[in-house]
Amino acid sequence: MRILVAVDQHPYSDRVVKDVAKLAGNTWADVTLLGVGPKATEIGRSSNCAEFKHPLAEKLRNYRRNFLDHFEKEESPYEKRLCKYEFVEVKRGMWEELYVCRGARKDLKIVLRSGNPVKEILTQSQENDSDLIAMGCNKEGDCQWEGAINLPQKVANNATCSVLVVKEEKQIGKIVCCLDQERISQKSIEMINQMVTLYQTELDIVGLMDGPTLKPMVEKNLDAILKYYKARKIKAWIKLVEAASLGPFISQEARRSMMALWMGEHSLLSKMFTRGKVDKLIQRSKSSVLLLR
Amino acid sequence: MIRTLVYLDADLASSIALRYACQLTHIINMKLHTVHVEEPDHDGHAPGTGWVRRTWENTMLQTGEFEIAQLIKAEKSSCPRLDAPKMLFGDRENEVLREIQRESYDLFVEGSLHSFAAKKLFDKINSRLYRHIPCPVIIVKNLVDIEKVALIVRSEIESKKLISMFLKIFKGVKLKLDLVYCEFQEPGQLSSGAKKEINGTLSAVEEILVENQFPPENCLTIQGSPEEIGDALRDYGLLAFPLHHTISKKSDWFQLLGHIPSPILICWQ
Repeated sequence: MRILVAVDQHPYSDRVVKDVAKLAGNTWADVTLLGVGPKATEIGRSSNCAEFKHPLAEKLRNYRRNFLDHFEKEESPYEKRLCKYEFVEVKRGMWEELYVCRGARKDLKIVLRSGNPVKEILTQSQENDSDLIAMGCNKEGDCQWEGAINLPQKVANNATCSVLVVKEEKQIGKIVCCLDQERISQKSIEMINQMVTLYQTELDIVGLMDGPTLKPMVEKNLDAILKYYKARKIKAWIKLVEAASLGPFISQEARRSMMALWMGEHSLLSKMFTRGKVDKLIQRSKSSVLLLR
Repeated sequence: MIRTLVYLDADLASSIALRYACQLTHIINMKLHTVHVEEPDHDGHAPGTGWVRRTWENTMLQTGEFEIAQLIKAEKSSCPRLDAPKMLFGDRENEVLREIQRESYDLFVEGSLHSFAAKKLFDKINSRLYRHIPCPVIIVKNLVDIEKVALIVRSEIESKKLISMFLKIFKGVKLKLDLVYCEFQEPGQLSSGAKKEINGTLSAVEEILVENQFPPENCLTIQGSPEEIGDALRDYGLLAFPLHHTISKKSDWFQLLGHIPSPILICWQ
């Protein structure tokens, strides 16, 4: 699993780094902490050529420390195990003795990009082939990044991978998971599994009814999902919602639960849930939002 | 021994109900009987008469029997005492009611998945079957473990009937039992506390249970909107609920019933 964490220097980014550290602890994900800041021309260098002077550089290092603090040093998959000088072939027939650290089982990268933050986050997620983009947003108002209007909403709408928007300091009561049970993917079921473990919460699985009853295929898949979670000792509840009531249902549940919506390319939800509705959900939801793709 | 009838269709709700009923047999001295009713087409007319009709009915029953047998086969390992289902043909409600009256069952269990819209549950409560059913009913909305049970207390008189029915099924069973009194309020003010209700109903009901050697572990008053209380009660594996057939769809009590995701044991008043 590859997670891209988009951060800036504001407190909501602290929270998302902590949450992703816990998630990475369970999944052993390759993690990239991405800071998007001023343009490259504004990045200065001190007299020591190796050191960048950038408003986000120190903050990113702090995030890395916080991330690594979540793990016991001995057990951390991100810990470099062995550092020593060794000869490395730098080009054909030429060897150089370099100080090489080997042994980290998983990558933890820090990347700084400059430019339009939304564009940069999306580009980095494509370059990394990320499975998940995680980001925070402020608790006051309508879930914004400082100095970037509707950034979480724009990233959520345009990303090709799953997006987790973490709201600040909000205890998650339960996760309400709206999957398109006709085209359910193993990956999305496992992602929900990780979220339940991360937030130590219960799970509501929503069965979407396109009429008065469930389609036989949807019912069969709901049963399989239920058995999957029961086998993993996850307390899962089924709740049926008619397609026509999905809007009111989501606005009601978003007040107290983390919403997880399966928005895959061919999913029923992505057809019913337009970009404007996704924006509103992210802005108005009191809890974190997960869009699965 | 409690004789329980479980209604089965070849669907998820019935599968969950059957699994839940099997769990009950592990804690209660209970014998499960299963029944399925194969209904004629939606227009209610069977084709032809005599031999043609009988052959058509038998074919339909055989198809239904195969699907129900699959459902039972899947649960056999956890519920070895399950017998073959009784297969009936006709109107579902009439046939089930006749079967319950004929065999004098002590309990009826059926599945009905938890739904955001409460209409289905309201229709069920007002159905001919439920209006005439002579025994308590468990509606299984979700599959949960039966570790904790709650008795919903409304008044002392209603509770006496509820307790008598509850003890008939659960007497001698080791269960964590809570008494819950609900006070409905506007949303956003959910609170829960020990014995705060003013009129002493909880204490009176607690006394009855103590006299019957089934002392409750906690006596709680929960204040909040029906939706909030319903959510707060999801820790219980079963909620015993006194209910009148005349309950209004807009009443707080019905709203609460609709929002509870756990199985509900209905004691008719």
